[in-house]
Amino acid sequence: MKTVIDSVLSPIGLLWSNWRARLGMVIVGGFILIAILAPWIAPYSPTSQAFGRMLPPSSAHLLGTTQLGQDVLSQLIWGSRTSLLVGAAAGGLVTFIAIVIGLLSGFLQGWIDDALMLLTNVALVIPGFPLMIVLSAYIPVHGVGVIIVVLSVTGWAWGARVLRSQMISLRSRDYVASAEFSGESVLRIVFREILPNMTSLIAASFMGAAMGAILGEAGLEFLGFGNPQVVSWGTMLYWAENSSALISGQWAWIFAPGLALALLGVGIAFINFGVDIISNPKLEA
Amino acid sequence: MQRPVVSIEDVVVTYRSKRRRTALTSVQGMSLEVGAGEFVGLVGESGSGKSTLANAVLRLLTGGGEVDRGRVSFNGEDLLMLSEESLRTVRWRDIAVVLQSSMNALNPVATIRTQFRDVIRAHRRSSWSEQQVDADVSRLLSLVKIDPKYASAYPHELSGGMKQRVAIALALVLGPRLVIMDEPTTGLDVIIEHEILSDLRDLQRERGFAVLLISHDLGTVLEVADRVVVAYAGRIVEDRPAKALLNNPLHPYTRALLDCYADPGADQVRITYIPGQPPNMAALPPGCPFWPRCAEAEEKCQQGPVPPLTRLDGGGLVACHHAGAGTREGADPNLGRSGAVYVKSRANASASHHPVITVTGVYKTYRRNRLPLVALNDVSLTLPRGTVTALVGGSGSGKSTLARLITGMERPDRGTIRFDGRDIPRLGRRGLHAYRQHVQMVFQDPFAALNPMNTVGYTLLRPFVNYGRLSSTEAFKRVRQLLEQVGLTPADAFVGKRTSELSGGQAQRVVVAKALAVNPDVLVADEPISMLDVSIRAGILRLLDDLRAQRGFTLLYITHDLLSARLLADQVIVLHRGEIVEQGLAADVIQSPQHEYTRLLLRSIPNPRRRTLAAESKVSP
Repeated sequence: MKTVIDSVLSPIGLLWSNWRARLGMVIVGGFILIAILAPWIAPYSPTSQAFGRMLPPSSAHLLGTTQLGQDVLSQLIWGSRTSLLVGAAAGGLVTFIAIVIGLLSGFLQGWIDDALMLLTNVALVIPGFPLMIVLSAYIPVHGVGVIIVVLSVTGWAWGARVLRSQMISLRSRDYVASAEFSGESVLRIVFREILPNMTSLIAASFMGAAMGAILGEAGLEFLGFGNPQVVSWGTMLYWAENSSALISGQWAWIFAPGLALALLGVGIAFINFGVDIISNPKLEA
Repeated sequence: MQRPVVSIEDVVVTYRSKRRRTALTSVQGMSLEVGAGEFVGLVGESGSGKSTLANAVLRLLTGGGEVDRGRVSFNGEDLLMLSEESLRTVRWRDIAVVLQSSMNALNPVATIRTQFRDVIRAHRRSSWSEQQVDADVSRLLSLVKIDPKYASAYPHELSGGMKQRVAIALALVLGPRLVIMDEPTTGLDVIIEHEILSDLRDLQRERGFAVLLISHDLGTVLEVADRVVVAYAGRIVEDRPAKALLNNPLHPYTRALLDCYADPGADQVRITYIPGQPPNMAALPPGCPFWPRCAEAEEKCQQGPVPPLTRLDGGGLVACHHAGAGTREGADPNLGRSGAVYVKSRANASASHHPVITVTGVYKTYRRNRLPLVALNDVSLTLPRGTVTALVGGSGSGKSTLARLITGMERPDRGTIRFDGRDIPRLGRRGLHAYRQHVQMVFQDPFAALNPMNTVGYTLLRPFVNYGRLSSTEAFKRVRQLLEQVGLTPADAFVGKRTSELSGGQAQRVVVAKALAVNPDVLVADEPISMLDVSIRAGILRLLDDLRAQRGFTLLYITHDLLSARLLADQVIVLHRGEIVEQGLAADVIQSPQHEYTRLLLRSIPNPRRRTLAAESKVSP
């Protein structure tokens, strides 16, 4: 039990000892807290239209109000939930697909590898964002779930390739041959013997995928491919743009969600720096 | 001794890791002088601090290592205090370095000639014409016995041994006064290693530069060096002229190291090994760091201060409370340490002729860069049940390929490999799974063969679970038994350890245990001791021998080392360039080798005793 706890806590401790990762963890942790505590810290309901329309920032509405008279700050706080949910869910799904395809393809070689790599290469050359737009335009229902699926289907190829090449390098290690001599099955060798040795690479590809998903989701919603009734940073940008917020001087309405997105992205990127340093001690300086 | 070229005084080096908040003092005050034109060998096993010291001299420490104290005097200056720019001119021009990895440090996209030219132009003769450079390159290449026509070759066109020779020539290009060589031939074929070192010795005599040769192998060092310095646990324990050290080693550690060598051709081969593990610098015992492994240790050694390096009347230095007094009375190193001696007489080989594995007419060719590389060419052999066969050969002989074919890791191009009526190359995944219940493998590098993320217990449990179909309590019981059988006691202390926390010897014992978990009929051991420290090698050999006697499995022992083959094997098969050149009973083959290649292999075994022979034959008319 002690070793299990150690194996979870010691990487976090290592991350915490690196200032970049620490900063990243503070930023991302802050957003997670805001998302969890949204009902208590948001001053108003994000959908309540009880206020004056297009109000500039004031002490009652720190970031002003929307064209429908909703409080922008409350929307920003509640919107963090969508972004984090999409980041975690789509990032996780993307990583999962990349792991399964990358590892099996790298370990098995032969025709299975050829087929999976053909699929991966096709997925790689198709430009991601236009594909997302096309997919979400054809799917009749709009919503966060659909966006998560679309992001996952379009996002896994790069990770699969990276994991496959790492797999090819690890599979020729003696401990893999040694596991075969212990009578282990292919699945057990791949997922129990080799996978744990790729933790940092997988963590890094999860971070990358989560960041891509958060930005992709905001992008899709900004272009109007999401459900405009949902409160998220992407829809906030969509409505701000549609109501010419910038022209009417509603700068806080349009900048706040953009800045929040950028800050979350920076946080994730900083954690990623730390993961890099754990996996490659030579970067420690 | 002549005036020293370089004088290292009381250097202390500590590795600090900010991340892990640790500090490890791996060099604990070493002093060492190298005289002009002198060939000094620095010997030690892992943890001795020998490489750290070498890197500290030219301030090439990496991984958080810092010199805390000490001086390195060169030309009246302290190299540790010199500015980075002045040091740059000393490096290579005055003090050159050759590392084990030097051959891989050659620029792969530049010809050999270009690499010499760049150094010559950068450090010495920027005005030299192409002809002058060419002449110099040819001269240097001939010095290290490489045909000057290779000047226009790229590194990948040369063999490993040739690349290391080029690296040595590159080190000499500016005419340095001292060349520091850190394991320059480790990893090369034994025959090549022997050739390079003896050529280096001739070259050094001829040109008069000084050499500090760092090696884990006392045998090799004694053959070439004028003076030998033995390091243990970050300190120097003995520093004496090679001949004196060989004839009358004073420190018990030196004595024990020398006992790890023997003449494989003798009627009775006897080696001893040092009990315990190489020093763990993070947890050194109080007192003399060697006492836990020392046969002569007494109370004074265990408690008092570390014995200082003391100058002896007859010349030389030693750090031991007993030194000078000779071996302490009644301290027979074998007493109370059962199993420390390994004796092999000219006994009759086991008489079994019933083959357990039969290899017939096997061919294997690899294609690398579209060039065919013949690994095995019509090889046939049988492994008689219950015997030990040593498969001996240098690198590229095909011995490891044969091991991979026999264990089913690869398939031959042609030929059959039969075990119990099955043809191994035809087995599918399921057939191989079943085959591995009968034929198991011990790998060369124990750390590569153990998954660093797993515990010892998990590693050993898996074969029981997959093949034994045991309940988990029963399997755990068997794991503990197995650990005790391979000498890892108490077993409970090892079950929960990560494999990455083990020492080299312990890790190899776990690898052996894992292979034996399924109680195989045949064990294939591919160079199981070549990655281990000299002092613990015989222990692993002894373990294999004992386990075989207990369990009666057939052992195929693959090695380049005829001494260990003699100790372990009933039958010896010599493989050269993919063909069997000689085979027979171990004692016969080693005592009266018929093939020239076997004789060459025998001559290349590091054997300190031979030095006296060589030296004396030169003196006598």
